[in-house]
Amino acid sequence: MTLSALADPTRRGILARLATADATVGELAEPYDMSLAAVSKHLKVLEAAGLVSRGREAQWRPVHLEAEPLQAVTEWLEEYRRFWDRSLDSFAAYLKTMPAPPRTTNKPKSKRHK
Amino acid sequence: MSKITSDSSAVDEATIIMSRMFDAPIDKVWECFTKPEHVSVWFGGVGFSAPVCEMDVRVGGIWKHVMRTPDGTDFPLEYVYLEVKKPMRLVWQPANHGKSTSGPPTNRTAVTLEDHGDRTKWTMVATFTSMEGREASIRMGYTNTIAQGCEKINELVKAL
Repeated sequence: MTLSALADPTRRGILARLATADATVGELAEPYDMSLAAVSKHLKVLEAAGLVSRGREAQWRPVHLEAEPLQAVTEWLEEYRRFWDRSLDSFAAYLKTMPAPPRTTNKPKSKRHK
Repeated sequence: MSKITSDSSAVDEATIIMSRMFDAPIDKVWECFTKPEHVSVWFGGVGFSAPVCEMDVRVGGIWKHVMRTPDGTDFPLEYVYLEVKKPMRLVWQPANHGKSTSGPPTNRTAVTLEDHGDRTKWTMVATFTSMEGREASIRMGYTNTIAQGCEKINELVKAL
């Protein structure tokens, strides 16, 4: 859900804006050529994903960024990247220990028997 | 602000793209990437081992793997191959991809090899699906377990 909420560039823009400070729907809509209703729709998606919350006390109901689910996702993706970085370091080192298989030309299509 | 910017690029379209150049011809890279006796050595990185690694490298074939972290925790993995074009392209995903609602988020992985004579370019595109209901299990420590194993290795390396 977090990922699908982030799949839209407008919603990512809204989150980036909210990372600087809370904002009203009107403020969030400013940079976009879209209606307040359209922006509200995006906010509903972000709210359902737990990525933003709306203030209740103030009449202008400021939108607030909820960083935790975003962090869980990015942490996982970063961990995945680190996993492959390590694996590929290991892979490169392993390749060096292996003798090259016989190869007559540089043509990848040369037939080999296994 | 800068943190968010870099974070959202990491999840942009929910893909991770990585690429490397290896000093080996394409046939050799393919071989080391698709044969269990090789994969069990490098998969996971330094300190990781694989008590089980069986690869049936054909479309629909299964890759069964038990990944043992440096601190001895075993992670059983099961992947299915979706595309096999020796020696250029290999695509796989977890056998339960898109079905499981628990555990860490899963992804489809596509590796493309490019022949550069004595060198080979390796490009990986990992596509993640919706993570609905999975953030909780990430917090429950799957990520931490692997990360802790790596920290130990880093300490060992520093001590050498």
